[in-house]
Amino acid sequence: MVTYLIRRLFWLIPVLITVSAVTFIVMRSAPGGPWDTDPERRQVDAATEKSLSAYYGLDKPMWRQFYAYIIGDTNSQTKEYVCGLICGNLGPSYRQRGRTVQDILFSPPEDKTFWQSRFGYSLRLGGMALLMAIMVGIPIGIIAALKQNTIVDYVALFFATSGISVPSFVLAIFLIFIFASRLHLVDIVVDDWTQIKYWFMPMAVLGFGTLAYTARLTRSAMLEVMRQDYVRTARAKGLAERAVVFIHMLKNALIPVITILGPALAGLVTGSFIIETMFSFPGMGRAYVQSIFQRDYSMIMGTTLIYALLVAVANLSVDIIYVFLDPRIRLED
Amino acid sequence: MRKLNVLLSLFVLASLVLTACGGGAPAEPQTVVQTVIVEGTPQVVTAVPPTEEKEAVLRVNTGTYPDVIDPQKSSFVNEIAHLNKVYMGLTTLNGKLETVPGAAESWTFNDDATQLTFTLKPDSVYSDGSVLNAKRFEYAFQRNIDPATAGEYASITDEIVGAPEWRGADTAAEGYDAEAFKAALGVKASHADGSACADYEDTACNTLTLNFSKPAPYFATIAGIWVGYPAKEENIAEGGDIWWTSSKYQIGNGPFIWKSVDPFVKSVFVPNPNYAGEAIPTYRLEFSYITDSAVAFEAYRNNEFDVIGSAAEDLPVIDADADLAAQHVKYAGSCTIKIQYSFFPTWGGKPNPFSDKKVREAFALAFDAEAWTHDVDGDLSLPTWTWIPPGYPGYDTNTPLHFDPEAAKAALAAASEPFNSAEKLNALGLKMAFADSARNRQRHEWIAAQYKEILGVDLALDPVEPTTYTAIQKDPDTYPLLSRGGWCADYADPQNWLSVYWRTGTFADRWGYSNPEFDALVDEADTTIDPAKRAELYSQAQQVLLNDIPGAFGYNSLNHYLVKPWVKGYQTTPQDGTYPGDVTPWTITIDTSMLP
Repeated sequence: MVTYLIRRLFWLIPVLITVSAVTFIVMRSAPGGPWDTDPERRQVDAATEKSLSAYYGLDKPMWRQFYAYIIGDTNSQTKEYVCGLICGNLGPSYRQRGRTVQDILFSPPEDKTFWQSRFGYSLRLGGMALLMAIMVGIPIGIIAALKQNTIVDYVALFFATSGISVPSFVLAIFLIFIFASRLHLVDIVVDDWTQIKYWFMPMAVLGFGTLAYTARLTRSAMLEVMRQDYVRTARAKGLAERAVVFIHMLKNALIPVITILGPALAGLVTGSFIIETMFSFPGMGRAYVQSIFQRDYSMIMGTTLIYALLVAVANLSVDIIYVFLDPRIRLED
Repeated sequence: MRKLNVLLSLFVLASLVLTACGGGAPAEPQTVVQTVIVEGTPQVVTAVPPTEEKEAVLRVNTGTYPDVIDPQKSSFVNEIAHLNKVYMGLTTLNGKLETVPGAAESWTFNDDATQLTFTLKPDSVYSDGSVLNAKRFEYAFQRNIDPATAGEYASITDEIVGAPEWRGADTAAEGYDAEAFKAALGVKASHADGSACADYEDTACNTLTLNFSKPAPYFATIAGIWVGYPAKEENIAEGGDIWWTSSKYQIGNGPFIWKSVDPFVKSVFVPNPNYAGEAIPTYRLEFSYITDSAVAFEAYRNNEFDVIGSAAEDLPVIDADADLAAQHVKYAGSCTIKIQYSFFPTWGGKPNPFSDKKVREAFALAFDAEAWTHDVDGDLSLPTWTWIPPGYPGYDTNTPLHFDPEAAKAALAAASEPFNSAEKLNALGLKMAFADSARNRQRHEWIAAQYKEILGVDLALDPVEPTTYTAIQKDPDTYPLLSRGGWCADYADPQNWLSVYWRTGTFADRWGYSNPEFDALVDEADTTIDPAKRAELYSQAQQVLLNDIPGAFGYNSLNHYLVKPWVKGYQTTPQDGTYPGDVTPWTITIDTSMLP
């Protein structure tokens, strides 16, 4: 298993290089550049644009820019060698002048900890949302399956369908209206994210879709498993219903659920543009979306690579969890 | 053990629930009813504790969090809204957008306006009490021009001797000498007698002299904009490239001190007791960064904001509510938006109909600016038929064109061959590009429908991704035949509207507009010192421009905000970036007796 894990981790290298190459080609194919700002205001003049392009190496051939991003290159202005992605350098932001992408995403504001960095915020919120999806979604799915075609099942299905079909911005404004405007339980304008009460609404909105999907998947997997022979055998042996459900049925039903939770985790912890826009949440989702419009190439590359890395790691974690859930599954050495 | 776990879990859950419920509406003063014994007789006494005096705070939602808050690198409105709270330039603007003393108490031009000399106010200090002398401003201008800074507005000081040369220098070239460029620059700090200043502690260093390569009588206004704000060199050096991210390095001379910043969440500014401007503000200023207008509106209604920008989608609710309607403040903004024609002789290999003035006239006359502002913009813009917007020096209501469908048809019929009918224009396949968004689709469909209805012209709409739209507008080879665009003021001077935008060699090159008569007039105005004569020359230049019909002037932007009734004394100017009173924040007061 250790050899398998090491081999999978090494496979991440070509995966990330491929993701980098595809992202680089796609983003550089789009017209416009980081200095193309609002046309209704003074534009960056030619001399300054030339200066900026030279400083950031955008005046070099494409292949060289890609090489510089991955391996490194000498800055033509400062004459300093700048190591690239292989040194963990995600590149300079073109819009947030003076800052590197890793600084923007991982460095906390002054006098704060890593958990108050943009990635730290997203990681915490994503983790909480996933936990909510698991802790609520799986029990709902189990109960719905065990009470199939009853009012409990219908309510659970309604809940799950709502979660999948209601857009998050609608849910967000609905929750704000109820809990902030009417009940005054929380403020809409949050100025202190250290207070846990402010996290519930963004967590609920972010995790609701995953929760609903988890509930639906758990229900259908449970329904499939509960008709299996080994379940009938377990019951025939006289096992307690609780043992049948939790030891024999749930363990097997969880395999497809775990499969989707891996990529879901990556999606949740990399932030959400909608959540961050509506709750003024200082995560990394906005950085990603804004960077595309601003043609902030390094930021696009950096956030894409982090997302790819998280998906890959999450999938690997899922593979490991499989082994514990199903003894028939073996990770090849 | 299991019971203990259950108990602990319940405890944690209860704590979370309690924490979640702990906030909410501010506690109101409670009436305390006590039974006391006075000389043996029990009496019920009702005591109301004295109410705490509420703090004067102005809570503003500014929307997007700035990308960069560095005086010599910033360029966006929301960035400048932060900078002008912390810093003040040599000059500043009053509520009428007149250039008035800022850090400088006075300034003088030489006879031909090629030299501008500022004298700083005596005993000028930063908010931390340290000396603010002319050398600080010398550094600000040098840093703006230095190609290593590469600020997006660096070219705005190109009138200074040596500025274009240094800005355009190749810093990677062999023998590049920044100190030599700096020495040749027409920016010099000195004592009143002309002798050199020692350092940043030199309190007698109160004179800054700017030498220009051509007469620049408008430069006193430019000297007041953010590129000349005196950020401290040592703070920039100590903080490195990211110095501006920390409020501790943002020590300025503006009306406020930047007390704290939590990126994307909140910035807090408190009054600067050392502010040398008109008056020291009397309130704490808080900026929040909610970009979703529906959420900001809900927060405003919940009394969590004192000022927000109103959004078109909220108008029905605002108009239906008498209180909200009374709090809705609307006034002219800083932009003029037009339908811009391409002036090049050909377009896409075909003859360009807009090279014919009569076609331009037809399209200008057929644009119903009033209907646009009402039907499309929900009265959140102002119709215009001229270039410089109201509130700015040079605003001129004397315009040759207004909406007139019949005159539009007649103008098209009077155009030259092969552009003199809708059928002939349709055969050419007219196209209008725009930055794609749901809102813009609606807007441009309205424009196309109107031209179809009035002129019978089929306008193909070409939605383009927003950044791509900007890119194609920068290149004359890709400039669209028709597009919607305009200009927002950098500073309040006609030079910024006419010379910077329409003169040959400026923005106008992108769509091919060039008129030697116009160029001659603005060139003369730019170098004329007498304010009255200068204004007259700009007025003539604007008339030449309007007579050329370079575009269908459509509308001016409108500043529109919801302002709580306890926010008093704000002065509105078109230049307000994020809230009413943005330009002159010291005039605002908060009536704490009205706070809920």
